[in-house]
Amino acid sequence: MNLALDKDKLLRFQSLIALFLLCVGLSILSDKFLSVSNLWNVMRQISVNICISTGMTLIVLTAGIDLSVGSVLALCGAITAGLLKSGIEIPSDNLYIGFTVLGASLAGILTGSALGALNGWTITKFKVPPFVATLAMLTVARGFTMLWTKGFPISGLGDTFLFLGTGWFLGVPVPVWISALIVVLAVFITTKTRLGKYIYAIGGNESASRLSGIQVNRVKIIVYTIGGALAAVGGLLVTSRLDSAQPNAGVSYELDSIAAVVIGGTSLSGGRGSVLGTVQGALIIGVLNNGLVLLNVSPFWQQVVKGLVILLAVIIDKANSKND
Amino acid sequence: MKLLNPYKSLLICALFGLGLIGCKTRQSEEEPKKMAIVVSTLNNPWFVFLAEQAQAKAKELGYESKVFDSQNNTSQETDHFENAIASGYDAILFNPTDADGSIVNVKNATAAGVPVFCMDREVNANGAATSQILSDSYSGCVAIGKYFVETLNKKGKYVEILGMVGDNNTWNRSKGFHSVVDQYPDLKMVAQQSADFDRNKAMEVLESILQAQPDIDAVFCGNDAMAMGAYQALVAAGKADHVKVFGFDGAEDVVKSIQDGKIMATGMQFPVVMAQTAATFADQYFKGERKFPKKMPVAVELVKRDNIENYAAYGKED
Repeated sequence: MNLALDKDKLLRFQSLIALFLLCVGLSILSDKFLSVSNLWNVMRQISVNICISTGMTLIVLTAGIDLSVGSVLALCGAITAGLLKSGIEIPSDNLYIGFTVLGASLAGILTGSALGALNGWTITKFKVPPFVATLAMLTVARGFTMLWTKGFPISGLGDTFLFLGTGWFLGVPVPVWISALIVVLAVFITTKTRLGKYIYAIGGNESASRLSGIQVNRVKIIVYTIGGALAAVGGLLVTSRLDSAQPNAGVSYELDSIAAVVIGGTSLSGGRGSVLGTVQGALIIGVLNNGLVLLNVSPFWQQVVKGLVILLAVIIDKANSKND
Repeated sequence: MKLLNPYKSLLICALFGLGLIGCKTRQSEEEPKKMAIVVSTLNNPWFVFLAEQAQAKAKELGYESKVFDSQNNTSQETDHFENAIASGYDAILFNPTDADGSIVNVKNATAAGVPVFCMDREVNANGAATSQILSDSYSGCVAIGKYFVETLNKKGKYVEILGMVGDNNTWNRSKGFHSVVDQYPDLKMVAQQSADFDRNKAMEVLESILQAQPDIDAVFCGNDAMAMGAYQALVAAGKADHVKVFGFDGAEDVVKSIQDGKIMATGMQFPVVMAQTAATFADQYFKGERKFPKKMPVAVELVKRDNIENYAAYGKED
């Protein structure tokens, strides 16, 4: 047990070192990097990825994966935007239902939770591999986004809603508050609750967990539901920041999210890793994105560099886990 | 309709299964003609609009039509072409995913006797398509470049936000713009980054650029979605008043923003004209016409504050 803890600390350390080196390098190369406004800028930009990746971490810890987060994000953002903008009309009863910011946001989050629960249900009930089940959801949710928006962005959502993505509270951008709150909750769940223990146990050894009386299916459904809900929160943030729900929002976000989880030291085979590690992974990706643009690196090279960083992280992680 | 006798149908099935015979559509008079509309992507409102317009015109002319979405993937486009040819579509109104990659698809269709009419984007093969009705992105961006130089008084720092770096349109637009702007040495491009034609990415990219280059005078974006994203980043940074934003497409948001004085100018493309011309050409083809212009450029018009009243989203004010 003690050994496992040390191991976790080491893993956290490893991405912290990488982050530190990256920051030192960038502040030497660009005098603009270490400014307060740029740091808020980076934090605000990664807040969406942190929301998604926190959910993804819980899922990956159970040895699962969720490829549908980008599409779910787009659908939930679009539903919230659509309800805010034009409500629901029931022509047969000559009824028009308008939505408040809170109502529309909740509807978005509920949709995300429902889609997540559906993911968990197909995975546990029909034994569909998570990769396949969530791949199907990726396509379905994107299709529903297109149907709901008819392929056009929904823009002009009002100042109250914009506060969510663009506002400041006590000198900190609102999206940063939201993502921080989510991280705190997730850290609490993973380290202090029984659910957290079960999540690690299932990822470590599913059949042993089942034998020891853990309701594996229930835990998995809960975890995918959380993942869907957090993708929806990400959707609200993106929509609010842009003042527009884009039908193609969130395309390939699942990759950024998986990258953050992996760079943060969570093992794709489950049971090992942490939410805080993922936050560091998201920071590394965010800082890298920001730094490459600050230095005006050619867009061609940026993709190469990002890919190599992910690869390097996984190689180091592999080397570490061999030392067990 | 009478069914074939079992032996005959078995034989046909066997031959078909062995790859000895295939399907061929019969061009009989009583069968109504159908048009396939193959578009590069429906993930972008502009192309959704193009497809809708083509479908509407086909319907108006009395034809059935179906829209195929290639999802920016040339091999998916190939599948759509094969399916469209096999299921007996009589013409393809086509918006290619890739100027070179799509050539084969066009050639296969025309070889199978299905005419292809390209809309908006071209394929780089002379005479492969029956006709190409194209947006003149290059000249449009030359016009934007000239207006850019004029409004900036020939000097200042600017940022260029490119579309997808693997896309022909990205570079046509960029080259048209630079063919003018690069002649003025006092106009300095301080950053050139890609945002994949995406509103969110454009905002994030410009937010970061503004950290390195806080005192820019203008942003030129390869499409209107990115122009809106760039504008949002400028608003958040409190610089929206003195940084001039230029876009390209003529999307609804931007037309409104030009009216409100938020965005300087855009290049208006005419998807309605292109889609309707393509459908009309197909109609004429069915009626026996075989002479079509190989390339028909549709001008891109510069839309700015003092002529905005003549325009609406994706075209001229009715």
